[in-house]
Amino acid sequence: MIAYLAQRLALMLATLFAIITLTFFLMHAVPGGPFVSDKMMAPEIAAAINAKFHLDEPLWQQYLAYLGGVFTFDLGPSFKYPGMSVNQMIASGLPTTAKVGLLALLSVIALGVPLGVVAALNRNRWPDTAVMAIATIGVAIPSYVIATLALYVFAMRLKLVPTFGIDDWRGYFLPVFALSGFWLSYVARLTRSSLIETMLTDYMTTARAKGLRPGQILFKHGLRNSLIPLVTVIGPVAANLLTGSFVIEQIFALPGIGRHFVLAITNRDYTAIMGITIFYAVVLMVMILLVDLAYLALDPRIKFGARHP
Amino acid sequence: MTALLDVDGLTTSFFTRRGEVKSVRGVSFRVAAGETLGIVGESGSGKSVTCMSILRLLKTGGKVVSGRALFEGRDLLALDEDEMSDLRGNAIGMIFQDPMTSLNPTLTVGEQVIETIIRHRPVSRAAARQRAIELFDMVRIPSPEARLRAYPHEFSGGMRQRVMIAIALACEPKLLIADEPTTALDVTIQRQILVLLKELQAKLGMAIILITHDLGIIVEFTDRMLVMYGGQVMEEGLVTAVFRQPAHPYTRGLIAAIPNIADDNGQRLRPIPGSPPDMHDPPPGCPFAPRCPEAMLQCRVPAPMIQAAIGQSSRCWRLHPDAPRPVEQDGRP
Repeated sequence: MIAYLAQRLALMLATLFAIITLTFFLMHAVPGGPFVSDKMMAPEIAAAINAKFHLDEPLWQQYLAYLGGVFTFDLGPSFKYPGMSVNQMIASGLPTTAKVGLLALLSVIALGVPLGVVAALNRNRWPDTAVMAIATIGVAIPSYVIATLALYVFAMRLKLVPTFGIDDWRGYFLPVFALSGFWLSYVARLTRSSLIETMLTDYMTTARAKGLRPGQILFKHGLRNSLIPLVTVIGPVAANLLTGSFVIEQIFALPGIGRHFVLAITNRDYTAIMGITIFYAVVLMVMILLVDLAYLALDPRIKFGARHP
Repeated sequence: MTALLDVDGLTTSFFTRRGEVKSVRGVSFRVAAGETLGIVGESGSGKSVTCMSILRLLKTGGKVVSGRALFEGRDLLALDEDEMSDLRGNAIGMIFQDPMTSLNPTLTVGEQVIETIIRHRPVSRAAARQRAIELFDMVRIPSPEARLRAYPHEFSGGMRQRVMIAIALACEPKLLIADEPTTALDVTIQRQILVLLKELQAKLGMAIILITHDLGIIVEFTDRMLVMYGGQVMEEGLVTAVFRQPAHPYTRGLIAAIPNIADDNGQRLRPIPGSPPDMHDPPPGCPFAPRCPEAMLQCRVPAPMIQAAIGQSSRCWRLHPDAPRPVEQDGRP
């Protein structure tokens, strides 16, 4: 187990290295730079700025310097926000993004799974049709449309929740709803199909033939086996939600990381692009590792470190 | 003597998009306490559906249309779901065809035995565990205490079927339904499992319904047999009587189709020509008539069960006193 974890960690570092390298050179390969603008700049000022941010050095030197910074957990200074480091940028956006993301993740699991179970147990009857109709809409309509409609109905018309910000607990409702809508629908659909498939297996017939109670059959035998495919998607979903959504953060005026990231790209803020990319990559890789560990708990057939032919 | 199980006029259909599939059409039989009844028939003959109907474990779309199944005088088909689940795994045990898929892959085999005991008996977990060890020992799983903690994928097919038997026998059932218990196993393991079942039957005194498509198993391990075809019982009787003188042309065809090493001199297999009926629209009258070498006009009318010998009856008009004498079949002495 420890050997396995060490192996995974080494693999994660290698992946991270590849991501940093690719992003760095791709970013620099795009013509232009953070300080190129329509406004004419005196050559000496441009040179001074480039020198300040080491942009006058050869690319490989910049790369090595950056790599050195990353491995000491220093993501460098922002090119666009003077006096602010990328570490600070992430630290300032993270709490908002993480709070909204975590609530969205909770609602995806706490609502998506039960809705899928209800649908599966009432297969082809009205609760199933109702859940699947809503879930299909949820998967089909983009989150910004849902967000805008929800804003109009609940904030503007009914005035139940504020139109922007999360200063008040009611402010969380719409961003969380808009952010989780797609994945909630997706998870409900997946839970339904997975549970229906599990219900048809021979061991479910065995469970019934043993005279077990319906609750035991569903939770102990059915759900546990149906959760395995679900866990596969929960990892990337968690990473996705926890790193925020630019669109949602924009609509609800939330000061999260997603906004920083998109602005960093339009601003050509090199260190911010790199820093947030690395942050996303790390979150995703950690989530995938957690998923793999969850498999271990759910499915005894999976053994870590075992070599598969 | 009253029968342990008395099935009368059982009719089961599956309602699909293509229409009604009449899987079981008026099946009646009895099982006495402690006896072994073999049900033989090809795939789709309705033998499994018959048993699943009795236990009310039909898959989606399956529905018992009519009939009774009295178990110790109570109609299983009229019980509510709670009463039925009290009987399943308790007074009636069941073993399935494929031991590779019949056990839950995410629970230890021990847990799967223990939960059955706890469900039906007012015992502590520790006592149930002790009982599970005894059961594993009884079905000859080596080092039972350690094996209790293993998962199904750590067992071979034969060992898994032993676990299934342990589960089915956990509450000492009066009736054990074994639906092709050895079909998915190696030939050598098949014998071991069947011999084990017979030994356990002698020890515990339960009745067994053994579903199979293997006549060899019927001869060796059962007392009475039921031959099913097209959702109906074609022939019923003591195994010795049926094999000595099969009364139905279908049974004769089945017995003739058994390859015989002793008298075979490069002889080809003797299959029954034709294929089983489409149960969406079974033929009127005898379902075997379209393939039957002895079919006559009368066979388009449903035949009753007619007694052929002592303890043997068959659903064939040829046995009727007014029927013309059967033609000699070629290839038969």
